[in-house]
Amino acid sequence: MNQKKILYLTIVFWLLIFSGFIVYKEYTLRTGTEVLLKTLPVDPRDLFRGDYVTLNYEISTLDMEKIPSEESYFYSDEPVYLALELKNGYGVSKKIYTTPPEDELYIKGKVKDILYDWETDESGITTEEETIKELRVDYGIESYFVPEGRGMEIEKAQRTGKTEVTAKIIVDKYGNAVIKSLLIDGKEIEF
Amino acid sequence: MFDQDLIQKWLDEGTITHAQAEKMRADIEEYKTEHRSKKQIIAFSTIGAILIGIGAILFVASNWEKIGDAVKILLLAGSTLSIHYTGYRLKYENQKYPRLGSALLFLSALFFGASLFLIAQIYNINANNSTLVLIWLFGVFPLIYGYRSTAVAGLCSLLFYIWVGLLYSERNSFGELINFLDLYLISGIALYFTGTLHELSSKAKHAAPIFKFMGLQAVLLALFMYTFGSWESNNEEIVPVVYVFLGILFLAGLLSKSLRSKLTCFQTYMSMGVISFLMAGFTLITQYTSVSEEAYVGFFNLVFLGLLILLLYAGYSTEDIGIVNTAMFWFIPLIIARYFDFFWDLLPRSFFFMIGGLVLLTISIVLERKRRELKAQFAGVGQ
Repeated sequence: MNQKKILYLTIVFWLLIFSGFIVYKEYTLRTGTEVLLKTLPVDPRDLFRGDYVTLNYEISTLDMEKIPSEESYFYSDEPVYLALELKNGYGVSKKIYTTPPEDELYIKGKVKDILYDWETDESGITTEEETIKELRVDYGIESYFVPEGRGMEIEKAQRTGKTEVTAKIIVDKYGNAVIKSLLIDGKEIEF
Repeated sequence: MFDQDLIQKWLDEGTITHAQAEKMRADIEEYKTEHRSKKQIIAFSTIGAILIGIGAILFVASNWEKIGDAVKILLLAGSTLSIHYTGYRLKYENQKYPRLGSALLFLSALFFGASLFLIAQIYNINANNSTLVLIWLFGVFPLIYGYRSTAVAGLCSLLFYIWVGLLYSERNSFGELINFLDLYLISGIALYFTGTLHELSSKAKHAAPIFKFMGLQAVLLALFMYTFGSWESNNEEIVPVVYVFLGILFLAGLLSKSLRSKLTCFQTYMSMGVISFLMAGFTLITQYTSVSEEAYVGFFNLVFLGLLILLLYAGYSTEDIGIVNTAMFWFIPLIIARYFDFFWDLLPRSFFFMIGGLVLLTISIVLERKRRELKAQFAGVGQ
């Protein structure tokens, strides 16, 4: 293969990667449903991309005793599909599925951590049976990038406890989610 | 190239005339100057490309809010493609600045990553995402062969290690399967093996030294960390199997005479095979019996020291100054670490530092002298 062909192939290959990436995310943004999620941010820094706010959602921790689930046992890194119910625009956990549910609004996630609850007998001795108490789930929307130095402002606003930070996300029919914007006390943050 | 002594010998024997000897000497000098200048150009242009690439990544990291998203993407992706095209023109079409062209092609590989991370930033894709690094790796990997780029091979090796680390931190199940150091040790051995495979093909040979170098560094770093003994080995059954598999791959190469003859430094290759089998045995033993801290530390210190000696032998017998330098470089942290371990509590602090300083100075003088001797010796024979 001559060098000219390699040049054209590389350019086409790179453009395909860039555009594929953009199309994948734009599809979710343009066809998905808008959902508001309550959050609790902190401010670390990414290796390549600067300041961002880590978003910890209410739906990031799933209480297995309160939320109905298709299965009672899960493994780390296992995919889960959380059906959401919209209440005044806010997404609330409805049911946990292990396969994508039909005719429901759901968000795709991955089990990050599992909190077990061990059964104890009458004398307080732990028996062998363990049940899952809580699931910690990542949905791929845990980072919100902000201009350098601005992450701390959001974190401080959150720490006062008087402000409420909400993420406006878009979820498509396959459960993929993209963060559209961040709201402090209902107002969109503008940088 | 011919050695000066060899020219003198031919002159004394009457094989060549004085005029021919002078011509040979002049040509050798010219070749050396040209070679040195080529190396300098490559070094400067590559460092320049790295600096600009880091600048581009930091530019993305600062999240410049005043420019619209679409403009940002067009700006960075456009720069990536123009730098790539300019690099191609300079290296292959214009051919006046081939080294600068290579540096620009490498720079475009860095810009490709920066563009990718910019798009990810715009769509708020999770930070420290391993998939992004993997896409970057896949995106630039073909350049190693398409443009015979050694610098991109180095970048790919580095991205491979970053991807492995990020993947490990993302997936909890990996932590239950394999210990972090073993993961890097296996990755390093695998990268070294990949480098060796590249030696067998004339079209891919240029990438072999950098893959082998990067693989060897990861192996040495992981083994060095093991010498402290504070790492728990929480490996599943699959880990010794992976080590055995790698060991068998090395063995297959060593047993085949035709393959062995094609390897530039089969002694180093053999060292990697030995490490694979030793680690297979060690990880297997630790799964069924509890190993005391002392035995653990002793084993890894011996393995690390043994590997350094094997590397020195390999470098010496194949006259490869790069391997000798690597081995000598890793001797220093090993000596410092063990000196601290043994004498920190035994000596008063002032003596501890003074004696330590003297020991290190002596060792550095000895190592430097030895290294220079070897370099001169290798250059003499090689030329």
